[in-house]
Amino acid sequence: MADIILNPYYMQIASFILINIILGISIYITLSTGLLSLGSAGFMSIGAYTSALVTMKLGFPMPLGIVSGAMVAALAGILVGIPTLRLSGVYLAIATLGFGEVIRVWFNNLEITRGALGIPGIPQMGREITGSLREFGITPDMLGLRANQFSALILFFILLILVILTVWFFVRLQRSRIGRAYAAIKADEEAAEAMGINTTYYKVLAFAQGALVAGFAGALYAHTTSFINPGDFSYHRAVEILIFAVFGGSEVIWGPIFGAAFLTLMPEVLRGLADYRFMIYGVLLIVMMAFRPQGIIDYQVLDWLKKKVKRNKSASPLDKQKGGDA
Amino acid sequence: MKKWMKVVGLIVSVMLLLSVVACGSQGTSGEGGEQSGETESGEKVAKIGVISYLTGDGAAYGEAITSGFEMARDELNEKHKGELKIELVIEDSAGKRDQALNAAQKLINSDNVLAILGPTLSSEMFVVGPEANAAGVPIMGTSNTAKGIPEIGDYVFRNSIPESLAIPAALKKAVDEFGIQKVAIIYGSDDDFTVSGYEVMKKAAEDLGLEILTTEEYATGDTDFSAQLTNIQAAEPDAILASSLYKEGGLIVDQARKMGLDVPFVGGNGFNSPQFINQAGEAANNLVVASPWFPERDDAQVKEFVAKFEEKYGKQPDQFAAQAYDALYIMAQAILDAGTVTDRDAVRDALANIKDFDGVTGDFSFDEIGDPVMEPVVLIVKDGKFVEFK
Amino acid sequence: MNWQQVINGLTIGSIYSIVALGYTLVFGVLQILNMAHGEIFMMGAFIGLMMVVKFQAPLPVAFLAAVLVTAILGYLLERFALRPLRGKAGVSHLAPLISTIGVSIFLENLAHHWFGAETHPFPVSFATISYQIGGVKISLVQLTIFIISITLMVGLSLWLSRTKAGTALRATAENIETASLLGVNTQKIITLTVVIASVMGGIAGVLVGMAFNAVSPQMGLEIGLKGLAIIILGGMGNIKGAMVGGLILGMTEVMSVAFGYSGYRDAIAFLMIIVILLIRPQGLFGQSAPQVRK
Repeated sequence: MADIILNPYYMQIASFILINIILGISIYITLSTGLLSLGSAGFMSIGAYTSALVTMKLGFPMPLGIVSGAMVAALAGILVGIPTLRLSGVYLAIATLGFGEVIRVWFNNLEITRGALGIPGIPQMGREITGSLREFGITPDMLGLRANQFSALILFFILLILVILTVWFFVRLQRSRIGRAYAAIKADEEAAEAMGINTTYYKVLAFAQGALVAGFAGALYAHTTSFINPGDFSYHRAVEILIFAVFGGSEVIWGPIFGAAFLTLMPEVLRGLADYRFMIYGVLLIVMMAFRPQGIIDYQVLDWLKKKVKRNKSASPLDKQKGGDA
Repeated sequence: MKKWMKVVGLIVSVMLLLSVVACGSQGTSGEGGEQSGETESGEKVAKIGVISYLTGDGAAYGEAITSGFEMARDELNEKHKGELKIELVIEDSAGKRDQALNAAQKLINSDNVLAILGPTLSSEMFVVGPEANAAGVPIMGTSNTAKGIPEIGDYVFRNSIPESLAIPAALKKAVDEFGIQKVAIIYGSDDDFTVSGYEVMKKAAEDLGLEILTTEEYATGDTDFSAQLTNIQAAEPDAILASSLYKEGGLIVDQARKMGLDVPFVGGNGFNSPQFINQAGEAANNLVVASPWFPERDDAQVKEFVAKFEEKYGKQPDQFAAQAYDALYIMAQAILDAGTVTDRDAVRDALANIKDFDGVTGDFSFDEIGDPVMEPVVLIVKDGKFVEFK
Repeated sequence: MNWQQVINGLTIGSIYSIVALGYTLVFGVLQILNMAHGEIFMMGAFIGLMMVVKFQAPLPVAFLAAVLVTAILGYLLERFALRPLRGKAGVSHLAPLISTIGVSIFLENLAHHWFGAETHPFPVSFATISYQIGGVKISLVQLTIFIISITLMVGLSLWLSRTKAGTALRATAENIETASLLGVNTQKIITLTVVIASVMGGIAGVLVGMAFNAVSPQMGLEIGLKGLAIIILGGMGNIKGAMVGGLILGMTEVMSVAFGYSGYRDAIAFLMIIVILLIRPQGLFGQSAPQVRK
């Protein structure tokens, strides 16, 4: 275990998994009202660029930069959401896809973003924190670590905490009034409206939350790779995020989390299959739609897992009594 | 309470996933062989990591680069038998920055390489460079041409000649020979390589006092350049400066010639590929480009390299193969000078001190920040072949 | 007015129109967006290219081969990616969208695997022939493209309005249940629609290959997204809208370059989508579209 935790290579992969989990959650939130938004890549880019620019040009501290990245993305989500949410189904999907592409071209032509050259030298979370701790006289070798081990670890734990908080927040949200409103709109929008749910409000709210989370992930991405350019946020990224939800499942929040984790890990484990990776993705989408449109993880799988966990827990003390022969 | 159980579940599952990766990759890193160090026979083993673009759109670049490395490795191991053995650990980045970063972390931390060669793209180097620099691992780009690469840090070098050196040389030569006064520029505006080439081009044209009549942009993957070329044709330039990859470059030149635009082209490094001529055919004629590499050069070393390469890989080495080949020789020289295969700092210092190295791409030194100092050759396409522009 | 640019706009515009026709046919009948249309277009281009380069076939044979292969691809698409989803309980209306995205990713990477990433030149024997009319130069390739596109558009319109199969197709588009009650074999009509749409895409692919001397695995994505923009502009499922919309997009793109905004050329299609959806979601030629807004 220590080998894994102390090896920056594994921490790096784990960090990308965590960021992709946040992206998976972002598309899940809008999907939980039955809306498909393909704009996540666009909102992600807004978060990434905002955070990179305010930290580098205005000297914002990084946490504030990340928060402002998420907030600006949420604001963009509201601005885009209010007019476009009059659309539904495929029309919304296409409009949001269009939004993402327009944003990308805009970033390509802006002076301040350096266009396609991208922004190098964005403060990197792990290295930055290692650096400031050193100023306080705390050095990695006091813990018996090398500098890059320490910074990779810091990055991983910060992201892990943020992911846990995000997941926790949205699990709570689902059980709240808002979450029930989302579910009602997804089940039947007209019936929800008739029951007195302000559907427009909740739809815009879900859309803005999705944008907020995507922007948050974007900001974290910028401070993890220390370099961004508009090509990072193309149509392919939008489709990749969609696949997280489609593959993992969009009924329960654990679906996109599983999808993001699994699909980020696959190419690292199967480096040799790189040539076929996207062909496999394509077939995966077709097969999933035909045989399991709800994704791998749905309520049934979740219930089954819960039961399994419960049984193991209740079984273990018995095992001891019986002398472990069960 | 239940919520927190879920959270714990999440942490456990993340850990579980991590351990899967660990198992998956330990298998591969195990094949990398022993650590850098000394074997019983007294031969030192230097493990060098390579990050290359081996799958995806730009796989052709990565393939050429790794061929260059492998050939240099075999020759060096023959030459320094009993003294130094070079082992390459090659990782694919697929041209993606996050994968390049993963690969770099693997090389630095799991394989414990002495130094890294690559990655292929400048944008990848902007991500990998700072990490290698922070870890104190010397890293040398063999194909990065953008501005600001060696500036990343003390441990970052490159032996590929930056655009700021190549493009002005080509333009100067073309202006002298063709008497160019007015130019039009066309470039890909959504690709970091072509944009940075464009910026150099624009500055070079201004420095030479040329009048820029029009500047046209296109996006990667475009196939129809007729609208941009019609604008250029209307402006009547003496020459067209193009910053493109060979993919779009071939199409631009082809469509321009079909429209009757017969003025010379001056290209960025992207044109410097046999693929460009394959694609543009006849239309490629009268394109001027500066290159660090010229396979027809009258030099015994170059001739030997080309012959050996053709024998082994069945095609002529391009600039990427040649630069990679030289890069490993330079690295080996630095390791021998440093006299160690374990001390990364000593290798870095030895690398910085490389002077007047005689490689297939010519006479080579590093400047004070780690950029190459060398004279590019200016080439022109005549009858479907690159020839030296004299 | 720069007439040379108008010719450029018409060339690319008429190709856009044919691509959009394929999209709009499928949407009209099935109410789904076929995101794989662009990749079928790309496959058509590669088949044409292979015929010309590998087998030295004359151009008409290349077109025939492209038609044949894209027809088969269209059939397979319908059989494996669309039919399993049809009429299945609990399948969201987004399922076909996602499943055709799957097909598009698969085909793009398959082509990548087979043909490599580079752009292949498309040799046409008459590529250098062109005519000077006034101050404007039109190449024989451009003329061929105009003629083929106009023939296709007129042919499709006539087929839809004059033949029995065409009428059945329109009836199915109007209301699938009623059509089936009236004795139309809707399953057959749906398959036929997807096949015809794919063939239109395949022909457009060969035309693009010819026109710009370039065929690559990535060419489908860009044109596919533009086709989307056109049918939203012209009205989803509207034949006339697709034809006019294609020309409008082609002209607008070329004019943006002519007036010095070449950097924004590829954003125009998407800006158009957003503006049209917000102002007139049924598109320029759509009557009204109850399912667009809720």
